[in-house]
Amino acid sequence: MKVIACYSMKGGVGKTATSVNIAYWAAKSGLKTLLIDLDPQGASSFYFRVKPSKKQWGERFFQAYEALLKHIKASDFENLDIIPAHLSFRNFDSLLSGLKKRESRLKRILKGFNKDYDLVILDCPPSISHLSESIFIASDIVLVPVIPTTLSERTYEQLLDFFKEHKYPKTHITSFFSMVQSQKSLHKATIEGMSQRYKTFLKTTIPYSADIEKMGEHKAPVDVFAKSKPANLAYSELWKEIAKLIKS
Amino acid sequence: MNHLPSTLTWPLKVVTCSNDILLSLQVKFTTDVCPPAESVHQFYDDFDSHLWRSDHLLCKSAKTDFQLYQNDQLIDTIKTARPVQFWWHFSEGLLRSKLKKLTGLRAILPIASLDLLKTSFLLRNCDQKIVVRGSFTQVIGGSATHCYLTLEPLRGYQKEFDRAVNIIQASVLDSVNDFGLKFLLLSTNSLPAQNKLPEKISIDKTMEIERAVRVMAVAMLNEAQRNVEGVISDIDTEFLHHYRVGFRKVRSLLALLKKALPVTMIAHLRAELSIIAGKTNKLRDLDVFLLEQERYRLMLPVGFENGLDELYKLINSQRKREKNAVATYLASEAYQTRISVCLQALAEEPMFETTLAAKPVLAVVKKLLLKRYQKMLSMSRAINKQTTDEEIHQLRIEFKKLRYLIEFFVDLFPKKRVHKLLAEIKKVQTVLGDFNDYCVQIDFLTAYMDHSKIELTKALSGLIAILHQKLIEQRITAEAALVTFFTEEMTIEFNLQYGAESMEKVGESV
Repeated sequence: MKVIACYSMKGGVGKTATSVNIAYWAAKSGLKTLLIDLDPQGASSFYFRVKPSKKQWGERFFQAYEALLKHIKASDFENLDIIPAHLSFRNFDSLLSGLKKRESRLKRILKGFNKDYDLVILDCPPSISHLSESIFIASDIVLVPVIPTTLSERTYEQLLDFFKEHKYPKTHITSFFSMVQSQKSLHKATIEGMSQRYKTFLKTTIPYSADIEKMGEHKAPVDVFAKSKPANLAYSELWKEIAKLIKS
Repeated sequence: MNHLPSTLTWPLKVVTCSNDILLSLQVKFTTDVCPPAESVHQFYDDFDSHLWRSDHLLCKSAKTDFQLYQNDQLIDTIKTARPVQFWWHFSEGLLRSKLKKLTGLRAILPIASLDLLKTSFLLRNCDQKIVVRGSFTQVIGGSATHCYLTLEPLRGYQKEFDRAVNIIQASVLDSVNDFGLKFLLLSTNSLPAQNKLPEKISIDKTMEIERAVRVMAVAMLNEAQRNVEGVISDIDTEFLHHYRVGFRKVRSLLALLKKALPVTMIAHLRAELSIIAGKTNKLRDLDVFLLEQERYRLMLPVGFENGLDELYKLINSQRKREKNAVATYLASEAYQTRISVCLQALAEEPMFETTLAAKPVLAVVKKLLLKRYQKMLSMSRAINKQTTDEEIHQLRIEFKKLRYLIEFFVDLFPKKRVHKLLAEIKKVQTVLGDFNDYCVQIDFLTAYMDHSKIELTKALSGLIAILHQKLIEQRITAEAALVTFFTEEMTIEFNLQYGAESMEKVGESV
């Protein structure tokens, strides 16, 4: 079982759209996939029309994997299950701060899914916190969407520094350009510059697209309602690249 | 994983009420109904139902797709446009390797067909999330039409599933277990008779030996007779093989227990059965040689192909003639009469004319087994380097008779011990059988020597030389196998198993 965390310190970079579409393509390729929506806003759960239970169960999240089992819900797609986000997840950080061995907590919990799933995808909230440390340790790949702008580049460098400082292996970080507007010279130049500086970028770029925004309207991955559109083809290609990484 | 209820399937009370059920579900759910999908499933198996008996189903559902199911789970699909009859007609893959293992030399024949009409539907909640999947399966097969409703729960939506189950309860009968293609074949009585296991012959240890022999001989002859149609149609070579095995067993039974039946009857039966069996000897020899074709080709180096091709051309044309002769004979009135007379004679009530006839079967068989073992032991002890091949063959025949005798009455003996003994006997029999095969093959090939045909004679000489070398090596192996079998422990085992019972009533007449 592999764990991919869709992560960025910055909000609005396309983490959720990536989590949803990558989880969809992974499941479609035959991998038993579990998407865990860690962002209390619950956007990826919403995209799959899955509602969380009413119980405040966030504080049991890090106790044992059995606590998570009860909250797994089938998506409308074969091989894809979801643990929907709950508003109580907003307290994860304070919860973790009170726990022993908090950094490896999530890794230990996720191990329980080893027999039932081939892939776990974590849709992460945008922050650097105890939770994100736990995520970095638990993940095989930290997938970082980067909008090719100066500000995003700065945030990306901060993330790399954070990894260096805490001695997380940098090889875990895999990034790609998200919300790309190729007609903008700034985007073009940033892509060129960052691709040369960092070897962590995948070849596929995800375009800025109204079809991705429409996911909210359709409550579904792009492939369901915009099959032949560039955004959908881009996610399909992105998954192919990630699948190769997982195999290697 | 957290507990997920199983998918449930129910027969509908009224075959035509699927729309009513959907309407009732619409009170609590939004329903999405897919257009009905019609499919015709043609099922295949061999004559011995090897696939069915090992929980496999081979099914053709579209013009060119063969699908193999194991325990109702699809395990492989192979597309093939050309007609297929044996495993080797399929392209490489799991399906082919499974068929190779399960059906061997048997032809794959159509056995049943089902017409399915499947209508899938989805139940959605107020968020338009799918919460239950369902389907109606209408099946037409054999002599019946049924309709089933299946509901599949989804993880995390147990309550919705329970609600749907409650709604449909009034329209369905009790749920069924193991719903799938196998279930549908059984429920529509679509399977041919051979898929049902043959009735077991019940022999009680106290039954009079004459009665037991008659019951068994009739069953064996009937079993052999099941193959006649397959031999005539030349569907595969196993029909003839099983036909001959059946006859061999009956003849062995009658020879081993000849003193249980009236003298005149036994003489007549043995003569008749010998005539029938003799008619198929040549065809089986030709079949065996053709089946071993690849092995023979591999034995010879490059340059002998022309001679082998000539030989196989000759044998193939001989086989065609011989097959026609056998088919004509088996379809003839003479054969039908002969076999009916034998069956009628055996089916008569016991006459108890001989002194052995009324003795209990177990006691007779035990004594006979011990006697045969002792005979074989002394034959084996007499074997040395000077012993002729013919004497080794004789011992092989004795082993076969011993095995048959145990197998005929296997249910009368302690299961574990008797199967262990049978395994030991089979081991020796295989070694002795290989030795015999080399001799038979050499004789068979020698008969085709024709010095006017240089290439043919060259190939034959090469094969005979190789087979002769193998024969010499096998003789050593055979002698070693006999030494391994006839140990002091084996003699004790026979004495313990078959010598302990009081024989006073059986007397010396066996």
